[in-house]
Amino acid sequence: MTTTVPPASTGPSAADDDDHEIDLSGATVGEVATEDAASGAPARRLAGAARWGVGLGLAVVIFGGFMLMKGVNPISAYGSMVRSTFSNSDAFGGIFVRATPIMLAALAVSVPARAGLINVGGEGQLIIGAVAATGVSIGVGGSLPGAVTLLLMAVAAMAAGAAWSGIAAVLRLGSGINEAVTTLLLNYVAVDVMLFLIYDKWKDKNGSGQPASAPLPISQRLSLLGTSRVHIGIIVALVAAVVCWLVLRRTSWGFRLSVVGGNPEAARRSGLRVNALVLSAMLVGGALAGLGGLTQLAGAEFKLRPGFVATYGYLGFLASWLGRHRPLHVAGAALVLSAIAIGGDSLQIDSALPGATVNILIALVLLAAFAVQRGTKETS
Amino acid sequence: MSLVLEVLTGAVTGGTAILYAASGETISERAGVVNLGTEGAMLVGALAAYAVAAETGSAWAGVAAAGLAGGLLALVFAWFVIDRKANQLATGLLVLFLALGLTSLFGGSYVGAQVKALKAWPVPLLSRIPWVGQVLFRHDPLTYLSFLLVPAIWWLLFRSRWGVLLRAAGERSEVLSTYGHRVAPLRYLAVVAGGVLGGIGGAHISIAYANAWFENMIQGRGFIAVAVVIFAARQPFRVAAGAWLFGAALALSPALQARGYGINQFALDALPYVLTIVVLVVVGRRGVTEAPEELKKVFETAGG
Repeated sequence: MTTTVPPASTGPSAADDDDHEIDLSGATVGEVATEDAASGAPARRLAGAARWGVGLGLAVVIFGGFMLMKGVNPISAYGSMVRSTFSNSDAFGGIFVRATPIMLAALAVSVPARAGLINVGGEGQLIIGAVAATGVSIGVGGSLPGAVTLLLMAVAAMAAGAAWSGIAAVLRLGSGINEAVTTLLLNYVAVDVMLFLIYDKWKDKNGSGQPASAPLPISQRLSLLGTSRVHIGIIVALVAAVVCWLVLRRTSWGFRLSVVGGNPEAARRSGLRVNALVLSAMLVGGALAGLGGLTQLAGAEFKLRPGFVATYGYLGFLASWLGRHRPLHVAGAALVLSAIAIGGDSLQIDSALPGATVNILIALVLLAAFAVQRGTKETS
Repeated sequence: MSLVLEVLTGAVTGGTAILYAASGETISERAGVVNLGTEGAMLVGALAAYAVAAETGSAWAGVAAAGLAGGLLALVFAWFVIDRKANQLATGLLVLFLALGLTSLFGGSYVGAQVKALKAWPVPLLSRIPWVGQVLFRHDPLTYLSFLLVPAIWWLLFRSRWGVLLRAAGERSEVLSTYGHRVAPLRYLAVVAGGVLGGIGGAHISIAYANAWFENMIQGRGFIAVAVVIFAARQPFRVAAGAWLFGAALALSPALQARGYGINQFALDALPYVLTIVVLVVVGRRGVTEAPEELKKVFETAGG
C-alpha cells in the first residue's frame, strides 16, 4: 500500500478520486496507487502518518544539526523562518509568487510522466519561454495594447517551451536517446542562449551596466491581485493544474497517455499511435513550462538576468515527484516547496546563512517523503 | 603552441574530472543504478578537497577527503534507491540539491582561500616526445592516475569475478539471487565506488584544474559524465574517449579566445553540451539498446 502524499490528501474520497489512471505494469513512471483504499485503511493510515511525522521530524532535526555546526541556533532560526514567512504579508505573498513558475514547471513534468516520459528540462523550458516572450515584447514595442502583447508573449512562450522539449522528444523517437538526459543537457544550452542575448543584442542600454534585458513596460506586466504583491500568474498556474487534471482524467488523449505510460507494448499492439502521443505529451509539458517562464517574467522579474528562474525547474521536477505526478497534488507540493524556499530567504536575512542553504532542508524533506512513500518497483 | 595541440592537451586536462566521474558512473550503471547525484558527488568532492588541502596543506589529503565525501553522498543515495526503492532519477537530483546546499553552507569560508594545488609533473623522457609528450605527459598526477584507472576498471568489470557478479546485478539480478548471492550489497558497493570516483573527479576540478573553490563550480560536468557513460555504452575505454572529447570542447573556448578569434563566449560555453547531445544521437543508440536490463527499467521506454 503506497501512502499518498501530504496529510491533506489522505481520506477515502481523495484516494478514490484520482485512482482512475491505468497501471498495467506497476513499475513505471506513470504509476499511481491503485490498491484499494478500503482494507485495513485506518490503522495503516495512522502508521503512515506516524512515518511521515518521523521522517519530517528527522529532516528538521538533521537540518537543525547543520545549522548548529555553523553556530546558528536552530530553534531561533526555525522560529524566524516560520514567523517571517507567515506573519509577514510580503513574504507570505512571496510563496504564491514563487510557486507560480515552480507549479507550471512541475506540471511540465507531470503530463509527460503520465506517458512514462521523464522531463528534467523544466529549467531550460522556463528560460526559453521567457526569452521568446521578451523577444515578442521587444519586437512589438508599444505598437499594440499591453494586454494583446501579453497574450502574444504567452503564445510565444508556450511555443518556444514546446519546441525546446520537442527537441528531446524528437531525439527520443528518432534515436532512442532517453529524454531525461537530453532535456537535462538542453537546460545548460538554454541558459547560454539567454546569456548570449542579454549580454549582447538585448542588453539594457539604460541599465546599470549589469547584463539584463530592458524591463517590460508597465502595460505588459501581469496585474496584481488586490493590494498584495501577488500577481495573477498564480491564478494561471492553478487553472493550469486543474485543466491538466481534467484533461488527463477525462479526455481520451489523457487516457491514451496513461496506457502508453503503463505499458507501451500493449499500447502499440492495440493500435495507439505511440509516437504521436509521446511527442504531444512532451510538447504540452514544454508549453506549460514556457508559460511558467512568461509568468515569472511578466509577473515578478520583468526582465531577463543571469540567474533568472535558477533551480525553479528542478524544484518543479521534485514537486511533481512529491505529488506523484497527479496535477492537483503537484500543485500542493509546489506550494509547499515554495514556502520552504521562501523560508530560506529568512535564513539568509535573519540567520546570516548562505542563500543556497535551504536546499539542504528541501532535499531532506523530500528524501523523508521518498523514504516514507515506498516505491512500487517489483525489482530493485 | 598550435591550436590543435593546445586543445588536445586541454582535452586531457579538462576531461580528467569527467573521466573519473564517468568511470565511477560506469561501475554504478553496470550494476543497474544511474546516479544523477554524480554531479553532487563531484561538488562535495571539490569542496572537500579544497577545504582539506587548505587546512592541512596537503593536496593528496584533499583528494582522499574528496573520495570520502563523494562516497558518503553516494551512500545516502544508495540507501534511498536500493533500500527504499525510490526513483533513481529524482533521488539523484535530490542528492544534488543536498550537495548544493551543503557546499554552500560549509564552503563560504573557503572562497578565495589559498591552496597548494596539484602541480603538473612532466614525466621524464616521455614528456619530451613531440606532440604526444605534450598532450599526454605534462599533466598533474591525478591525470596520470586516470590513465591507469581506465584499463583497471575494464579489467575489474570484464576479467574479474567481482565484475561478473556486478554485471549480473545489472542484467539478471534474479539469477544472482538464485545462486545465493545478495544483490543489494553489490549495488551498494558499485554506487559508493561511483561516488568515490566522482568525488575525486571533483577534487581534480578544484585543486588541479581551476585551483579555486566557488559555489556551483561543477557546471553540469556530472550530468555530462552520465551522458558520456550512456553513449559509450558503459565501456570504459569508450568512456575515456567521451570524457576527453568533452574536455576538448571545454578547452576550445579559452584556446580560441586567446588567439583572438571572435567567436561568442556563450556559443562556446554551450558547445560541450550540444556536442554531447550530437554524439549521443550519432553513436548513442547502441548505448540504449545494449543497456543492462535493470537500467532499462529505470528509463522506462515509451515508444522508444
